[in-house]
Amino acid sequence: MELGNVFGNLALGLSVAVSLTNLFWCFAGTVIGTAIGVLPGVGPVATLALLLPITYHLTPEGALIMLAGIYYGAQYGGSTTAILVNLPGESSAVVTCLDGYQMARQGRAGPALAIAALGSFFAGCVATLVITLAAPPLTKVAQQFAAADYFSLMVLGLVFAIVLARGSVIKALGMIFIGMLLGLVGTDVNTGNTRFTFGISYLFDGIGFVPLAMGVFGIAEIISNLTSTERRDLASAKISGLMPSREDLKQSIGPVLRGTALGSFLGLLPGGGATLSSFSAYTLEKKLSRNPEKFGKGAIEGVAAPESANNAASQTSFIPMLTLGIPSNAVMALMIGGMMIHGIIPGPQVMEQKPGLVWGLIVSMWIGNLMLIILNLPLISIWVRMLLVPYRLLAVAILFFCCIGTYSLNNSAEEILFIAFFGVVGYLFIRLNCEPAPLLLGFILGPLMEVYMRRAMLLSRGDPMVFFQRPLSVTFLILAALLLLIVIAPNIRKKREVAFQE
Amino acid sequence: MRRREFLKLSAAGLAAGISTRASAATWPARPVRIVVPYAPGGASDIIARPWAEALSQELGQQFVVENRGGAGGMIGSEAVMKAAPDGYSFLLTPCAALTILPLMQKTPYDPQKSFTPVGRIGDTISGFVIHPAVGPKNFKEMVDYAKANPGKLSYGSAGNATITHFRLEMLKYRAGIDILHVPYRGSADSLNDLLANNIQMMAEINPLPHVKAGKLILLSINHPKRSPEFPNVPTLTECGYPNSDMISWYAIWAPIGTPPDIVQKFNAAIAKIGSGDDMKKKLQAISAVEVVDKPEETAKFLGEEIQRNAELIKAANIKLE
Repeated sequence: MELGNVFGNLALGLSVAVSLTNLFWCFAGTVIGTAIGVLPGVGPVATLALLLPITYHLTPEGALIMLAGIYYGAQYGGSTTAILVNLPGESSAVVTCLDGYQMARQGRAGPALAIAALGSFFAGCVATLVITLAAPPLTKVAQQFAAADYFSLMVLGLVFAIVLARGSVIKALGMIFIGMLLGLVGTDVNTGNTRFTFGISYLFDGIGFVPLAMGVFGIAEIISNLTSTERRDLASAKISGLMPSREDLKQSIGPVLRGTALGSFLGLLPGGGATLSSFSAYTLEKKLSRNPEKFGKGAIEGVAAPESANNAASQTSFIPMLTLGIPSNAVMALMIGGMMIHGIIPGPQVMEQKPGLVWGLIVSMWIGNLMLIILNLPLISIWVRMLLVPYRLLAVAILFFCCIGTYSLNNSAEEILFIAFFGVVGYLFIRLNCEPAPLLLGFILGPLMEVYMRRAMLLSRGDPMVFFQRPLSVTFLILAALLLLIVIAPNIRKKREVAFQE
Repeated sequence: MRRREFLKLSAAGLAAGISTRASAATWPARPVRIVVPYAPGGASDIIARPWAEALSQELGQQFVVENRGGAGGMIGSEAVMKAAPDGYSFLLTPCAALTILPLMQKTPYDPQKSFTPVGRIGDTISGFVIHPAVGPKNFKEMVDYAKANPGKLSYGSAGNATITHFRLEMLKYRAGIDILHVPYRGSADSLNDLLANNIQMMAEINPLPHVKAGKLILLSINHPKRSPEFPNVPTLTECGYPNSDMISWYAIWAPIGTPPDIVQKFNAAIAKIGSGDDMKKKLQAISAVEVVDKPEETAKFLGEEIQRNAELIKAANIKLE
């Protein structure tokens, strides 16, 4: 794209985005987004669904700007509950729990929240720039991915899940498989048959991510906290400083940069883009770190990298929607619904026919990110103070919000039963020293992997060589194999050392 | 089981709460709920919104769209089936939940016995689309190509037993050609693969903007009338395949037992709105056309559709396995 064109587009976008009404909707969206992100269980999908009818009465620009604001606002807010109370509201926040919550327990909730916000802001700015400069060529890159390539990417993702594990590799593998099995519940795409549903129609669409994640992370944590008789407030250590220290910032620069790059790219891919990006950013940092043993015990890099990655991904996931009219996730599907409500048919023509809408939306994302950082940094002191609330009160409040949030997903009480069930299961996992993060990744990637594998096999008319003939696919598979070797190698080496000592 | 009892109890509670029997003279006396059994932002929801707004204005009460998605439309449909038949709960659904789903698997409702039709409110326009790299430029060339290269083409559907699946199965059956079916979860991913020529054909509404942009070729319009947006594209009947359209049609249904005079009053309001230019324009913006039927016409059409689909399922041996 020509540079002059870019400036022209940005100027047009700016003129749309800074109009008083659109600034208001942008602000409204980011505030609502932050709020729902913070409330456990209430995610952007449910909120957008709820607010979509209201946008019927707005201008298309105002509607999309607000809906987008809710989406990336929720990514900011989501990290807050992940860090403070170990509740991932969205799949992309799962890894933030790992180190963020540990930081909070060590009294470093402030720096964790601040670095999440700063990292997200930086990632948001970069991703906006990426959309501006490279949306059309990046769309072409994303289209190079065929079913076989996605399958191999998912394999790589699952190997990441093993690396995530703090403890035993065998247990992590087991958890991944349990996650994959849980992911199989529901209607099989290829045959249309239902699997493991016991004839219950609520299971036809599978187990929801939110009840599963809330259960195995949040509720299980509450049960486990309550089983110990000692007084166990969340901030067990003294709260030390609200803002990150110079040392924290220095440690975070690399992870933020790498997380942003990974997220910007993976966000383009449909399905698990944002989730994969946060997992892989975390894995990358753990592998690059000089002291990987810090991870899972409150390493600030473990917050900075995934938070930047998921925010970058959440913004670049707009690219396929804006350039092709193809939604890359459930939120984008709702945004497309928002366009159609206004009689705009999503597709390649939108960028030409409605440049004001598209560029206004893009510029508003940057403005929205700015609003979010201004909104979120002062809030940190309030959030951190929330940890001083006695745990017996806080636990009840968390449970209460979890139930409301989950109920609101589908207006169904079944979801709450699921939370309760997975809460107990999650508690068992804690007692057995099995970590839930690999389980969730297996749960998300397993079904996707199956779908892509079977689709690739269908399209190749049953020839498995398709996974090795496509350059992208074979690259991912080789990477996965290498990574697996790196994971297993130290164990082998250690065992050999032990053997030699004897 | 417990859930069923609970639902029954709550339905009974609702019915008991409304002591006065609903009648057409005062209907609607309070907000009316229209259940869309799919997620917000989907085609049914997008059709429901302008209708709900117009109905609210016409009848002076809020018509509230409630999205109860899940299980291919079964959960929302079941909820309406079990709702009190008092004229305050309706179902707005595309045909598949009634004309395909019950033929393929056990559904909690019977499409012809659990609901009473209020009226058909619109059809979405779609047609067979092919990737230009394949070669065929029109419908006949595509059929010839498929005959010369059996099993070489593949098509994407929005899932098993969806109308996008049946549309191509119907073509395969009527034209005697072999095309590989690749099911997707929704038509977005399928469109992505079509644009990349990983699959070659689709029969859905969402490729149409790409046809306009010259990236895909539209071979036919699966509707009795040509589309004003694509005046040069023949209808499927004109291509030599009558009664094979597999139209996506949308209708409003009431739980069985809803007072007939309320249904009639509702239908009259639909007919009045549907004949206005405003609704025509709104529907056209989303590639839909208004088709307003009387309740009995809708019931008859439903019966014909079910019969035809049952024949296709048998003849083409479509099953969930």
